[in-house]
Amino acid sequence: MDVCIINGSPRKEKSNSRIIIDYMSSMLEGNNIKVHGIFNTGISLEKIKKDIDKCCALILVFPLYVDSIPSQMLEFMMELEKRGVINKNIVVYCAVNNGFYEGAQNRIAIEQVRNWSRKIQVQWGQGIGIGSGEILPHLKKVPLGSGPLRNLGKVLEKFTENIKLTRKGEDIYINPNYPRFLWKIQASLSWIFKARKNKVKIWEILKKI
Amino acid sequence: MKVIIHDMEDMNFNKMFEENMLRDDKEIKIISNNGKIKGCIGCFCCWTKTPGVCILKDEYNNIGEILSKANEVIIISKCIYGSYSPFVKNILDRSIPYLLPFFKIQNKEIHHKIRYKNRFNLKVYFYGENITEEEKDTAKKLIKANKLNINFDKYDILFRIPEEL
Repeated sequence: MDVCIINGSPRKEKSNSRIIIDYMSSMLEGNNIKVHGIFNTGISLEKIKKDIDKCCALILVFPLYVDSIPSQMLEFMMELEKRGVINKNIVVYCAVNNGFYEGAQNRIAIEQVRNWSRKIQVQWGQGIGIGSGEILPHLKKVPLGSGPLRNLGKVLEKFTENIKLTRKGEDIYINPNYPRFLWKIQASLSWIFKARKNKVKIWEILKKI
Repeated sequence: MKVIIHDMEDMNFNKMFEENMLRDDKEIKIISNNGKIKGCIGCFCCWTKTPGVCILKDEYNNIGEILSKANEVIIISKCIYGSYSPFVKNILDRSIPYLLPFFKIQNKEIHHKIRYKNRFNLKVYFYGENITEEEKDTAKKLIKANKLNINFDKYDILFRIPEEL
């Protein structure tokens, strides 16, 4: 089966979306998977559209920006609508990750993708909202499905099973398998460490312009 | 200060602006599309390298500061799949220096703390020819979520066909 995955993160290969795509790709092994990044240079929209037009399942993977789809991803989706998706048998799926704890905060972006699929007259499959995308690069040594990645592993298994069968499913939102109060402390500290690397002190982070 | 963020053609916006009482306001900042806006790259430099200011070099790197001086923000945007248009969305994507990277719990969810004490009222005019009921519903949910994450005070949403603007 032809599967086309779109990475809508401006952080490209270093993005949390890319990590999720890699997890999914290994679960979808045996299928003909094409992964395209909308920010990657050297590939035309026409080429991406060709792969979309021949796929059975289209999966949009992107980060949540201010409660919804990032502007450049939105532009990409509008351009596809304008050019017209020829293959109306495509089933659209999406996986949205955010920098908060709660995966449910991705629900509006998922709804927007569903509205888009209606506009371009293709079938809607399923959306998953993943909380705490920023934790993923720090868990590369943790096997998917265990520890803080337990919930993500379970959901991706269900999600990719549906994709393999181009089956519909209820939208699912997941939090990391990790206490929220600890997450909140660690996430806040990580900003201080990142700023320190740039020689920015804690009181400078708080500054008003 | 009143801030207007819009995605209209300049000619149409200016006509509407002239015909309305908006010009009577003493202090107005209009944010419109000059066609050269850069997209947010998710670098978080506006929090960790140049706090409060977007690192991208264009005319839109001070949205956080502008919002900090606003008591009213008006958004005029085409409604796309229940979202703002790409230009208006880009302005909001690049408004995150208005917030702090640190977190608080509000309505049982994690949200960012705010950098500034001021809060503004928001009025959103969504326009478009064929906005579906689903898109309207999504757009309403979006503004409600934005209220928590961008931290504005009261809001009002109106859907219009372009001629009614």
